[in-house]
Amino acid sequence: MIKEENGLPSQPDGASFRDPCGYIFSFEGVLYRQINKRYKSQYEFLIESGLYDALIKKGYLIPHKEVDITPSDPTIAYKVIQPDPIFFISYPYEWCFSQLKDAALLTLEIQKLALEFGMTLKDSSAYNIQFHHARPILIDTLSFDNYHEGEPWIAYRQFCQHFLAPLALMAYRDVRLNQLLRVYIDGIPLDLASKQLPFRSRLRFPLLLHIHIHAASQKRYASQQVKTSRKMSKNELLGLIDSLESAVKGLKWSPHDTEWAEYYDDHNYSPEGLKHKSQLVSDFLDTVNPVSVWDLGANTGYFSRLSSARGTATISFDVDFGAVEQNYLSCRSQHEETLLPLYLDLTNPSPGIGWRNHERMSLIERGPTDAILALALIHHLAISNNVPLNNVATFLREICSWLVIEFIPKTDSQVQRLLASREDIFSNYTIEHFENDFSRVFKIHRKEKITESERFLYLMEGL
Amino acid sequence: MQTPLAFMLSSLNSTLSAILKSGDAYLDPGSGSFILQLLIASLVGAAFIIKTYWRRINTFFRQRFNKDQNEEEE
Repeated sequence: MIKEENGLPSQPDGASFRDPCGYIFSFEGVLYRQINKRYKSQYEFLIESGLYDALIKKGYLIPHKEVDITPSDPTIAYKVIQPDPIFFISYPYEWCFSQLKDAALLTLEIQKLALEFGMTLKDSSAYNIQFHHARPILIDTLSFDNYHEGEPWIAYRQFCQHFLAPLALMAYRDVRLNQLLRVYIDGIPLDLASKQLPFRSRLRFPLLLHIHIHAASQKRYASQQVKTSRKMSKNELLGLIDSLESAVKGLKWSPHDTEWAEYYDDHNYSPEGLKHKSQLVSDFLDTVNPVSVWDLGANTGYFSRLSSARGTATISFDVDFGAVEQNYLSCRSQHEETLLPLYLDLTNPSPGIGWRNHERMSLIERGPTDAILALALIHHLAISNNVPLNNVATFLREICSWLVIEFIPKTDSQVQRLLASREDIFSNYTIEHFENDFSRVFKIHRKEKITESERFLYLMEGL
Repeated sequence: MQTPLAFMLSSLNSTLSAILKSGDAYLDPGSGSFILQLLIASLVGAAFIIKTYWRRINTFFRQRFNKDQNEEEE
């Protein structure tokens, strides 16, 4: 068994314990996938049938190479493969509407292609899809099984729970309902989705079938043993996939009247000020030359692009679904391969969820990142969310080595707006306290006043 | 009076019962998804075949039309 330098055996990844066909493990900082002997024939068929090459050619599956290292558990191992690295693992509750929709459509495309080669997807978990080079991609190479005509699609229920139900709720009720995926790790229960969806959703035939009647059927047969020898022909299976595709394609959502949708027209910068701020951010990034950047409170990603355009892997986090949606659509249309827009409420970041709280990682576990951009953010944390400045500094230090942060004084109209509806109990919200509190955990390298504004931009390095 | 949805659900129930014949293999108790999938597939399967053939016919005539048009232009 492989051992890490600390002498402990290399452990399977926290999310990779259910599949008896293999699992992910890390060794010396590199992720590998062990393929077990029981998956040997399926893996060989995946490669020899030409399906693997077809999937790679279309960019549907993460490429891998077979490596000659000792498996994590040699007694059951057949092979070890090393998949191409993904720069950030994200989860469906961090995706905007179009990201979840693209992931759903990719899953169906993969299933259609697999059937052409005599294979089928044995699961359709949204967690098997990641965003890589600005597009969704399947990361679980062991998701394929041999297809035998007559078999139904074993992953049908999972597809409806992981993709169709959240998309329908987002489109018909409220885009924020994708947050239910944080609670229901195996997708939204269909009876819950059916109850929450408006009556008009029943007028769309694919939704009537795949959500409402599906939920009724689950309830009807929940406590019964039933018998059938009914087979499903390949054409029927393709019809089912086609129907799911129509259901997904028919769901639409567009951002309007969201909190920050007009932010860039409603900020406190003159054209000169904005230009100066952009120049300073670029200068700071040139100085640090980070490998990875997280832009916290990125809105539609204007400043994130100063980083991603340099070829730096950049995550553009925002709390507004409209902003993330706009950012993703622009990222997708411009093929911005180094930028990943994601939803994040920084006051309640994604926790570790699932079995032993380890199946899906918390935000902090997925860090630290080289550098953080925290522009026009501090007042939201310190004033809207009452977090003391020293606490903000400690948190940011925990997740980055370098920090580009903007301080916005109380006199700024954006801060005044936040104070208008609350008592000013923030006597420590001053530039002196800010510098003192941040100096405990960061070294301030540069401090620049932004032209034609009262705001300051800092470049700090973690102590 | 039955609502259209209630009517649809009761028809579905009879169809499902027709699919489930005695003497066949046992399924898990929570197999509503499986059973429904069989039903939906039989509903949409035929439509899918028609759709596929329609697309083929459509493509054939479109290609033919384009070819004729190109020849005329030449």
